[in-house]
Amino acid sequence: MTHARVAVAGLVVVATLALLAVVAPLLPVGSPTEISKDRALQAPSPAEPFGMDDLGRSVLSRVAHAYRVSLAVAVTAALLALLVGVPLGLTAGYAEGLADQLIMRPLDVLMSFPAILLALALMSVFGTGALLVAVALAVVYTPIVARVARAAVVATKVEVYVDGARALGATVPRVVLAHVLPNAAAPVLVQASVLMALGILVEAALSFLGVGVRPPTPSLGLMLADGRGFMLQAPWMVVFPGLAIMLAVLGFNMLADGLRDWLDPQQTGGR
Amino acid sequence: MSSPWLYAARRLLLAVPLLLGMSLLVFGLMRLVPGDPAVAVLGYKATPDGIRALREAFHLDEPLPQQYVRWLAGVARGDFGLDFRQNEPIGRMILDRLPVTLELTLLATLCAALIGIPLGLLGGGRRGGAADRTALAVGLVGISIPDFWLGIMLILGVSLGLGLLPSGGFVPLAESPLENLQHLVLPALTLALSRAAVLGRLTRAAVLDVVHRGFVQVARAKGLAERWVLVRHVLPNAAIPIVTVLGLQTGYMLGGAIVVEMIFTLPGVGRLTLDAVLERNYPVVQSTVLTVGAMFMLVNLATDILYGVIDPRIRRR
Repeated sequence: MTHARVAVAGLVVVATLALLAVVAPLLPVGSPTEISKDRALQAPSPAEPFGMDDLGRSVLSRVAHAYRVSLAVAVTAALLALLVGVPLGLTAGYAEGLADQLIMRPLDVLMSFPAILLALALMSVFGTGALLVAVALAVVYTPIVARVARAAVVATKVEVYVDGARALGATVPRVVLAHVLPNAAAPVLVQASVLMALGILVEAALSFLGVGVRPPTPSLGLMLADGRGFMLQAPWMVVFPGLAIMLAVLGFNMLADGLRDWLDPQQTGGR
Repeated sequence: MSSPWLYAARRLLLAVPLLLGMSLLVFGLMRLVPGDPAVAVLGYKATPDGIRALREAFHLDEPLPQQYVRWLAGVARGDFGLDFRQNEPIGRMILDRLPVTLELTLLATLCAALIGIPLGLLGGGRRGGAADRTALAVGLVGISIPDFWLGIMLILGVSLGLGLLPSGGFVPLAESPLENLQHLVLPALTLALSRAAVLGRLTRAAVLDVVHRGFVQVARAKGLAERWVLVRHVLPNAAIPIVTVLGLQTGYMLGGAIVVEMIFTLPGVGRLTLDAVLERNYPVVQSTVLTVGAMFMLVNLATDILYGVIDPRIRRR
C-alpha cells in the first residue's frame, strides 16, 4: 500500500512539474529573459514570490522555463539510452558467448568512469548545449540500461515457457520480443526512472560547471552558478533553483522507489 | 579458486584489459576534437611556429596507433607528457593535487559511513516505526539533494551566516592539521551527504534481510538488549552489501569531487580536470580523466576483492 502511495506521490510531483514546464510560456510569470535593471536583486514579494536576479529577471519565470530544458534533457537522454541499451542488452543476454563479450566488454569500459567525469570529458570534446548534454548522458547511461536488460534476459530465457515457445517453432526475434522482453520491462522501467533523476542532477551539475546548457537559455544549474556571486545580497537566487532541482529529482526517485517495490518486491533499497 | 589470494589475483588480472580499454577510450575521445588539436590547445594565441612545435612535441604527425602506443608507454612510466600552456610535466601537476582529492574523499567516506550506517540500523531495526519512517524520508531527500547546491547552502549558512568555518581554500595537512581539517569539514560533508543517504537506505535493506533470521531470534530470546542484538549479530551479517556500497560510493565521490572542489576552491585533481576542460587543454584533460577513471576502477576492484575476502561464497563464482 505505502509503496503504491510513494509511487503515486512521485508520479504526481513529476506530472505537475512536466505540466508546469509545458505551459511555462503561457503562465502569467513574465519573460525568463527580459532584463529590467531597476528591479535587479529585488527580494521575494507577493508579485514575484521567488524574487528577481541580478539582471532583474523573474526567478520564478526562469525556474519554470528551466524545467523545460531540464526535463527535456533528462527524457531525451533516457529515451536514447533505452533505444540503444535495450537491444544491446537483449542481444548480449540471449546470444551469450562471443557476441555477449563483444557487446558487454566495451560497455564495461564506459562504466569504469564516474558518470559526471565521463559526461564532462564528452562535453569537453563535443562542445556545449542542451542537445549535446542529452547525448553525453545517453552515452553514460547506455551501459547501465544494457546491463539491466541483459540480466533480465539471462534470468528469463531458462524459464519453461520460453523453452515451450522455442519448441513450438517460434523464431528468435519472436521469442525475445514476445516472451523475454516483457520480463525485462519492469527492471528497465525502474532504471529509466532512476536515470531521469540522475539526468536532472547531472545536467544541472554540468551547466553549473559551465559545460552544459548555454546561456541565455534558462537552466537550473546556470542559475545556481550565477546566483553564487550574489549569495549574501540575494540568497533567493540560489535557494529556489536548488529547491527546484531537488523537487524534480525527489519526484523521480520516489517514482522509481515505488515502482521497484511494486513491480519487483524481492528487490529493495539502494540505487 | 578458493584462496582469497588467488581470487584477488584473478580480479587484478581482469582489470588489465579494462584499464587498456579506458586508455583507448580517453585517447580516442581526445582525437575526436573537431579541427586541429594543436590549434584547439593553443587557442587564439596559435602561431604557425607554435602549432608546429606542439605537433612535434605531441607527435601529432605520426599515425594514430603509434601515437597511442607512445602515450601509453609514457603513462606506464608515470610520464604523462608536458602541459603546453604551463610548460610543466602533467604527471607532476596531478601528483601535486592528488593528496587534496584523496584526503577529501577519505574524509567524506568516513562521514558517509558515520551518518549512513547508524541511520540504516535505526530504521531497519524497527521496521515501520517512527524512526524507520523518518530514516526513510531523510534517505529519500538525501539522495535527491544536488551536492553542489548543498555546498552553496552550507557556505551560505555555516561560513557566511554563522562565520564558523572557512568557505574555501586549502591548508596542507603538514602545515597545520587543525586548519587543514577546518577547510575540509564542509567539503567533506557536502560530498558525503547524498552518499550517506544511499548507504542508509542500503543498510536498512541489508538489516531487514537479516533481522528475522534464526540466530537473531535466538539472541533476542537469550534476553540480549536490542541494541546489542543489532550491533553484535545483525550488523556483521549485513556487512557485505554495506561494504560494497560504501566502496562504490567512495568511487562516485571521486567524480563528485570535481564539483565540490570547484565550489570550495580546493586545489585537487577534480579542479585540475575542470580547469583543463574549460581551457580546452586536451593533453591535461586526457591525463586527468584517465587518472581519476583508473582510481575509480581500482576502488571498485578493491571493494570486489574485499567482498570476496569477507564472504568465501563469492570467490566460487
